Amino acid sequence: MHDIGSLVDQLVESTKTSVGLFVPELVLSGTIVVLLLCRILPLVWRVPTQWIALLGAFTAFGWTLSQFDQLVTPSEALQVKTLFTGLLKFDEFSTFFRMFLSLFLILTITLTVLTGIPDREDAPDFYTLLIGATIGMMIMASANHLLMVFIGVEMTSVPSYAMVGFMKGRRQSSEAALKYVVYGAGAAGVMLYGISLLAGLTGTGSLPEMAERLSMIVAQGQGISDPTNRTIVLASLMVLVGLAFKLSVFPFHFWCPDAFEGAAAEVAGFLSVASKAGAFALLVRFGLAFSGQSKEVSSIAFALGIGLGVLGAATATFGNLSAYGQSNMKRLLAYSTIAHAGYMLMSVSALLVLRFSKQAGAEADVASLSCIEGLMYYLFVYLFMNLGAFAIVALIRNQIFSEELDDYNGLGTQCPVLCFGMTICVFSLIGLPPMGGFFAKFAIFYSVFKATSVHWVMWLVLAAGAINTVFSLFYYIRILKAMYVKPRPDGARKVTYDLMPVGLFVLMVCLPVLGLGLFPARFSETFHHVASLLLTGR
Amino acid sequence: MQPIDPNPFLIVGAVLFVCGVVCMTTKRNGIGVLMGVELVLNGANLNFITFSRCTPLGLDGQVFSLFVIVLAAAEAAVALAIALNFYNNHLTIDVDRGDELHG
Repeated sequence: MHDIGSLVDQLVESTKTSVGLFVPELVLSGTIVVLLLCRILPLVWRVPTQWIALLGAFTAFGWTLSQFDQLVTPSEALQVKTLFTGLLKFDEFSTFFRMFLSLFLILTITLTVLTGIPDREDAPDFYTLLIGATIGMMIMASANHLLMVFIGVEMTSVPSYAMVGFMKGRRQSSEAALKYVVYGAGAAGVMLYGISLLAGLTGTGSLPEMAERLSMIVAQGQGISDPTNRTIVLASLMVLVGLAFKLSVFPFHFWCPDAFEGAAAEVAGFLSVASKAGAFALLVRFGLAFSGQSKEVSSIAFALGIGLGVLGAATATFGNLSAYGQSNMKRLLAYSTIAHAGYMLMSVSALLVLRFSKQAGAEADVASLSCIEGLMYYLFVYLFMNLGAFAIVALIRNQIFSEELDDYNGLGTQCPVLCFGMTICVFSLIGLPPMGGFFAKFAIFYSVFKATSVHWVMWLVLAAGAINTVFSLFYYIRILKAMYVKPRPDGARKVTYDLMPVGLFVLMVCLPVLGLGLFPARFSETFHHVASLLLTGR
Repeated sequence: MQPIDPNPFLIVGAVLFVCGVVCMTTKRNGIGVLMGVELVLNGANLNFITFSRCTPLGLDGQVFSLFVIVLAAAEAAVALAIALNFYNNHLTIDVDRGDELHG
């Protein structure tokens, strides 16, 4: 038995250091409390709640930015690697995602201020849900323990269900929320059962410890016919079902178009980027948790990588094919989201394939670095371009009260700023140079290309990615064609809007898309550094 | 504390899990589907408790199940509110009747 006194001392010490590094999440939690108090206290009720939410988001962003800055400066590397006795990981990778998510929170709140989707009466509730989901994603990105994996996923999901059904009177919205909650709860249940099996087999919940014990257990067994090994594979697959649902990966994508069409465009934009970012961070961590000394575990992880590659190719193909026939903008963008999840999944697959291949060496290590780098670059560009597209859909909806593609006819002359912003985002989503999307896609395809030297299936994945990129051109071009080529029908509603705040927001979102494309080296250096620390620092 | 055989408990957990999954996939009533989800969660919970007794997982397992109970309650609250909202708009909670979004 441990000495109770020293145990308590250890706990107090760990909590003290952890709380200091956990401040961004605590600030956001505090913001939620203030927002809830707004409902009760009539005095605070006069303060517009969006400013409170925005203040909290800015504080969290500033804090994570300074943490990130400290972490990537080599001289001043913080020694603490885990928080709260190993429940959460605190490294460059997790801090990057926390920064990313709080930046995204700022942009989403700004967008809702501009479009005014939660009215004054509902605003505190809406921002509570929004911030709560963001905290969940931050926990997902820094999870180092199976318990935190589950709590993070649930903390993200439960507010998302409510946000999708936020527009209470609309039939479509309530239908979307019901579908989302039914499928989401089912996926979470299956994931939890998988987690319980994994925790029971290894006798620990901590991801690094789990990796060690897994290699021990698997080494004792006799290959895949051993019942224990089968259970491990089954349990990992169950956990992956939960993650695949969050990522809207084929065949768990069916909720995504329905939920996005029923939800407000702002909420759809938030869910499409933020929950993907959190889930991808978690997937990378979960995948890397397999890296042990034993050959057997490596072979399982290698097979997993190949499987993910095939799934990624299927997801991208399915998303692009389905997007082609859509007439609703939100539904079209939802399918494009699915396709992009497929591209990003390819880079995770390449990472696992390269890292766990039999001829792993210095060259494979460098190549697997480029996979993580590509994924981070893609997510960063994706933040701006996808949010931009959804934001412009929301802003145009406020003008013409429609989200149908046919109603976009001839808008190009009526609101040039919004349509130009849409053009930039769409070009970037296709992956045309000089937008950020081009370099992001290039980085991912490059890492998949590297992986082709290990296994021939990756050639198929690469080919699927390339064909999909070409194919996606057609339906993205339809948006531009509607806006610029087709004439505005007679008697259509005149579009009027005040240029200043809306134009500034569009600029704020579109400039980074261009900037990431024009100066890729600046960003990829940072991402490269973070990726190398993730792979070696463990 | 004498050692116990984990298998009976794990079997009950697995049966609960399968019942839950079957319930989720076959029920058309929205509340019925949510009941299936609860069965799955409780099957996992039973696993955690068993493992906390029989493996080095120890107290972690019990903490796990406590958190799951709390999260299941939160999820049920949100899910029931959404089901009620669906009923208000559609006058039914038959999940198959939600067919306006497709394509």
